[in-house]
This record gives sequence, C-alpha cells and structure tokens, in this order.
Amino acid sequence: MKEFLVSSFLMMNIFITYSQTRGIVLDPNNMPLNEVNIFFSDQNILLFSNEDGEFITELDIPNNSYISFYKDGYSSKTLKYRSGGELKVILEKLHVILDEIGVVESHSELGNSKLINIEKKSLSSLNSISMVEDVAELSGVDMISSGLGIQKIVVRGLSGMRVVTYLNGMQINNQQWANDHGIGFTDLGLTEVELIKGASALKYGSEAIGGLLYFKDAPFTSDKLKGFISSGFNNSSYLSSSKFGVKFNKKNLFFNLYGQYAISSDYRLPNNTYLFNSRFKQNAIKFSLGYRYKNWQNIFRGQIHTEVPGIPGHVHVDPSKVSLTEITSSELNLSTDFNPTRPTQFVNNQLFIYETNYMANNFKFEFYAGHFINNLKEYEKWTRPAFDLDLSNTLLSPSLRYISDKLTLQLGSQFVLKENKNNINDRLVPDASSFNLGPYLMIEYEKDNFGINSGLRYDYKRLISDDKILDLDYDNSFNSTSFSSGLYYRFTNHIFRVIFSGAYRSPHVSELFADGVHHGTSRYEIGDRRLGIEYANQIDFKYQWSNDHLGIVVNPFTQDISDFISLDPTDSVISGYKVYNYMQYDKVEINGVEMNLHYHPHQLHNLHFEQSYSFLQARNKNSKYGLALVPANSIKNKILFKFNDYERLLKFDYFSIYHIYKFKQDSYAEYEELTDSYNVINLQLGIKFSSQFHCSLGLNNVFNETYTPHISRVRGVAGGVPNPGRFFNINLKYEF
Amino acid sequence: MKKRNLVTVGALSVMLVFTSCSKSDSVECHECHVAYDNNGVEIEVEILAADGGDDFCGTELETVEAPGYTHEIPQTIVGMDTVPAGFYEVHCEEHADH
Repeated sequence: MKEFLVSSFLMMNIFITYSQTRGIVLDPNNMPLNEVNIFFSDQNILLFSNEDGEFITELDIPNNSYISFYKDGYSSKTLKYRSGGELKVILEKLHVILDEIGVVESHSELGNSKLINIEKKSLSSLNSISMVEDVAELSGVDMISSGLGIQKIVVRGLSGMRVVTYLNGMQINNQQWANDHGIGFTDLGLTEVELIKGASALKYGSEAIGGLLYFKDAPFTSDKLKGFISSGFNNSSYLSSSKFGVKFNKKNLFFNLYGQYAISSDYRLPNNTYLFNSRFKQNAIKFSLGYRYKNWQNIFRGQIHTEVPGIPGHVHVDPSKVSLTEITSSELNLSTDFNPTRPTQFVNNQLFIYETNYMANNFKFEFYAGHFINNLKEYEKWTRPAFDLDLSNTLLSPSLRYISDKLTLQLGSQFVLKENKNNINDRLVPDASSFNLGPYLMIEYEKDNFGINSGLRYDYKRLISDDKILDLDYDNSFNSTSFSSGLYYRFTNHIFRVIFSGAYRSPHVSELFADGVHHGTSRYEIGDRRLGIEYANQIDFKYQWSNDHLGIVVNPFTQDISDFISLDPTDSVISGYKVYNYMQYDKVEINGVEMNLHYHPHQLHNLHFEQSYSFLQARNKNSKYGLALVPANSIKNKILFKFNDYERLLKFDYFSIYHIYKFKQDSYAEYEELTDSYNVINLQLGIKFSSQFHCSLGLNNVFNETYTPHISRVRGVAGGVPNPGRFFNINLKYEF
Repeated sequence: MKKRNLVTVGALSVMLVFTSCSKSDSVECHECHVAYDNNGVEIEVEILAADGGDDFCGTELETVEAPGYTHEIPQTIVGMDTVPAGFYEVHCEEHADH
C-alpha cells in the first residue's frame, strides 16, 4: 500500500511538472531579458519574464499554440509552440520602431501580420484624450467629430458603414448609418486596436470596404491579482473620467472586471465661448471570465455601455447661415451645463460573448457566439423621442484552423442575424431584419523569406422589411464573393507586400427606406429601394526598410468602388429641413499614399523623430464635385524623448511634441466648402512617481489655433465650428 | 485583509457606476417658443403657458410637444424683425446663452 501511495504521489508530481510550460528569453549576447511580455494568444493569457529572463506557467499549452514575445526596444517574435523542446527565445535589440509594428512578427486577430497589411495601435488611457483620437494618429486614419461626445473613425476617406468595428470578435453596430452616432464604446479594458485598410478583412465580413478595426481587451493575467484605478480631467469641457480594473486568476479560472464613469460639459472654443450642447456622459461596466480545462478554453464576456451625448449645432433654419454666436455660450454654468438638454441621444449598448476553442495536434477548432443590443433614443423634444430604435445583432461563427510547418488553412463561416425595431410610431428607418451567411476559406504559405496568402468568401444576405407604419413590403437578397490575395517577400532589410482584394457591401435599410427628419443632422433624408450592391477592388503595396537609426514605410494604394451610395442634397425643403436623397454613382476612385519615417540619432538613443504622411485623392466619375467627408492630406510629426537614464533623478518618464499639419481641402462634395490648411501642436509630459503610480500632463492646441477639420461634423454649421482651443489635461493611474 | 479591501473597493466602485447609470435627465418645466425663419435667421417668439407664466410643465408640456401641434401667434415685433401671424411648431429646448 505504501509503495502504491508513494508511486501515486510521484506520478502526480510528474503530471504537475509535465503540465508546466517554461522558457527563457535572452538578448543576442545571451543576457536575460526581464519584463518581456509573453502572450499566449490562443489561450488569451499574458505572462512576464522575470529578472533571469525566465517564465513559467501552470497551463498545459497545446502544440501549435501561438506565443508572442514583445519588449519595448526589441524586435518581437511569434512562434508556434512545440512541447518537449527547450523554449529559448532570442530577441534582437531594435533602434527603430516603425508605426508600432516595425517588427514583422506579431500576433494579430486579423490574420498573419507578415502576409497581410495590418497596423496596430496601443491604447493607453493614461496618455489619451480619447480612444478615437488615439487611433486617428495612424496614417490614413482620421475622425469625424463634434467634440469628445460624438466621434467616428475615417479610413482612407471612407467612414460610416464602410468602416466596420469589431470589439473582441463581435461587430459593434451603434447605428453607423449616420454621422451623429459615435463608435459606441470606450477604451475601458482595451489593450490595442488592429486595423486593415480597405477590403481585405475576409474573416470578419465582406462589408468593410473602407477598412476593419478590431479592438481587443487586455488578456487575462497570470498573476493572482492585479488592478488599477485611474482618473482624468481636462479644462476645456471640465471632463472628469474615472476608471477601475481588477484582474485575477485561480488555477484555471480567470476573471477581469472594469468600470468607468465620465461626465463632460460643453467644450471651449479658441475665442473662449463654449459650443452649446457638446456635453456628454458615459458609463460602462464589463467583465471577462475564462476557464481552461486541458486543451479546451472558454471565455464569457459581458459589457454594458450607456452614453448621453448632446447634439450641438442644432438650429431650425439652414445651419450654414447661422452665426457662431447663436450656437455658443459666453460662459459655462457649472451647476447646469453638465445636465442633458435638447436635442440629446440616449444610447444603451449591451454586449454578450461566448467563445470556445479546442486545440489538438495541428488543429484548432473555434466557436464564437455574440449578441449585441443597441437602443438609441434621439430626443429633440423633452417629453417624447423623435425616434426610439432597437438594433440587435447575433453572430455565430465556427472555424477550423490547420497548421503545418509552412502551411496554414482556415475554414469557417459566419451566421449573422440583425433586427431593427422601432419602439414608437415616429421613425426614420423602418422595422427590418436580415440574415447573412458567409463561409470563407483562407490559405497561407510561408517559407523562409517568402509568403503568400489567399482567401475567398461568399456571402448571402436576405433583407426583409414589412413595416406596417410605413406600409413597406420588401424582401430581397444580395449575394456576392469577396477575395484577397497577397505576396510577401523579405530581402535583408527590405520588406515588400502587395495585396489585391475585392469586397462588396449591400445597401443598408436606412439607405433604402429612410423617409423623415433626422434632427441629429438637421436634414430630411429619403432613401431609394432600387439601390444595389457596392463593389470595391483595391491594390495595396507596402515597402518597409530600416537600419539601426532610420526606418521608412511607403504604402501606395488604389481603390475603385462601383455603384457607390451617397447622400446628396437637393433644392427641396420638407418641414423646414433641406432634403437629402440617397443615390448611387457608377464609379468612385480613391488613390493615395501613406509614408512613415522614423529617425533615431545615434548620439541620443532616447530621442525619436517620427513623421507620417497621408495623401489621398477621391474622384467621383459621375459628378464635377468630389466626395463628401474626405479628409485633407496631412503630415504628422512626433518628437519623443524618453528619460530612461534620468528617471530616477527627475521622475520624468517621457516628453513628447506632436504636430499635425493639414493641407487645405479643395476637393469636396456639392454641399461642402473649401477648408483652409492649419497647424496644431500638442505637448505631453509623462511622470513616473513610482513603478505603480503614473501621471501624464498634456497641453493641447498650444497656440490656440482656430481651425475646423474638413470632416468635422459641424463643418457645415455657422461657416464651420472650430475645434477646442488651448486646454490642458491630466491623467493619473495607480496600478497594484 | 488586503484581498478583502480590494474586493470591497471593487464592489463599491461597481455600485458607484451602477448608481450613476440612472438617467439624470430631468423633464420638469421648460420655457417654450416658436421659431420663424427670416431668410436664414431664426427669430424666436416666446410663448406663455396657460397660467400666464413662462414655464410649461407636465401635461401642458406634453401637449405643446405632441406631433402635429401648432401654436397660433399674432403678428409680433421682435427687435427689428416682424414675425407674421400664423401657426407655428413649438420648441422648448434651451438655446445657447450668448
């Protein structure tokens, strides 16, 4: 009996030892690297190496799991795990980091970042004024906004339903058909965003002909307990924002919890008046629960987000003819000017996700289920909403991944059910439902310095509307095929990528059936049920080169979109509002080039110069006018100094100067105007009181420049409502 | 002890967020006006509630904001502008204090 017990005990120890995964991370001189981020992407768990460069986890990691190694200042690496062998990783020291992905190898949700043109941006609420402004620092990316309350992302001149947003694998549909509806969530609990520009994101749907943004939560922690509290304030709108986050794990159970509250008054213009009703409030709470059992992983996520943004620039006459004094206040009343007034939106978003995966040998099976509910009430009156819409979106997505040494195959499908339901008789868009089925296949081949990827997707969509109030009886189906093919080649320090892709977008129910006043945009909008599918083809070429001190990225592209749907003004007026019709143009061409430059002086390793250029030309073949809401060309400059060697003396972490120059925009739609060029400069100082307590101080629009971006939501109001004047912001974060 | 304090902080934070979620939008009473488009310039004519006061409240506010409701005003001089007599839609939202 004793021998049996001893043997059993030894077997248990062997089992426990066998269940551990351990490794070591070194530099090229075999010196250990500490605080390396080690991300097990298939398990969504993040570890850190210790002072000896070692890491260890109790998790039993299946073969072919992706593990990414990242440390600031070093080339990151992604490898496929093989049990039994020694996990020893060497990271090369980098002098130049290009647009946060100067490294070639990194894990991406959107695909293989070697073979597909994927850009990434870290999201850090400590340094940020807003999440959308953070993302807009990427070249080719801009934003439509009217203050911090309503902001939307523009990618290569395209926005709205052409730029699709995903949050942890679920499409977020905050009524993207209109420019007065923001993105629908904040950066609470998020770690980074991935971006594919143009029509190349096959796995996540065909409709993202402008681009696809994938926002990701921070992974689960390997530590027993971690958390943070943070707070932010700015003196432009007296924005006050507080957040907390807690992460812990016990054995194979992982839990993350986050919460946020933000309130803001009207923002201050350069002339010291305040844009009336640009105020907002936001609340959010979210959690993620993960459980692993051997090779089987389950994650359940829930999120509730509410926001109450005012709609500034609201008038009862032609907005272009009012004066700025009619929509601005000479001073703020802090006891009343945080309260919602009219018109105002009340937005309630709920998101529930269940994802599971099972890995065995070379296979990974994933199943994803998500349900998103958006309720939007838009109040122009105090006692009744102008419309009250529920939009629900259910996604089911199974997929199978096979990995061999050089080949990766992914086969999957998406089933999407959407329902649009009005809760009152007044409505702008009708009750409608749609069903979408989209199977896809993607193949990747990599050998040495060469890679090729190809993907094909077929989508079938059926749209039904039997709205009795609007007397509609519509039942139609749309189907088409999307594709993407790319080549990758690396020759010493030169990297080349070329991608040819095609996608389509079926018309939205608002484009087909809108018929009413939209107070948020001060328009009477009319749809057209004859609208057909938009088709887009894109060629994207990317060249990267870097040495120890200089890095260059050049990314020209061309996209043509046939049957482009647009909302254009007419000479008619209904109910006192100018009438806008949805119509379709035969062909629109968008050409451009994005470039990034990063210089790092040898004598000053802590100093970085970064510059990015975005040039875009959009042409409408059917009109003498250009396209609406196309951002002006821009040059963005950033000088960043890190106090690495001095931080113990000065407590300073970094100092940065950010400058953006916008060229004049003289290509515009019929109802737009020329926008002059402008410069804006922002300063930021990071302070590190301790390893746990950080602060950032920002001074924005240092020279109090009066400017209105061409794609501002209030560009057409009062000759163009300016963006905020000079203001400071402070963010504090304590981590434990 | 440390864990219990952290859990307490987390729970209190959650409660704070949820209690903040309640809609603090107050309908109460509001002043109302009609708006006249004088060649692109909005002219406001203040209207009075049934009791002769400025504020419209409760059922009276709902009535003037109901779909299709219009309010009749006589010819009115506002500053240098003349607003013709007629029926106009009522607006009770606040405007910028300039």
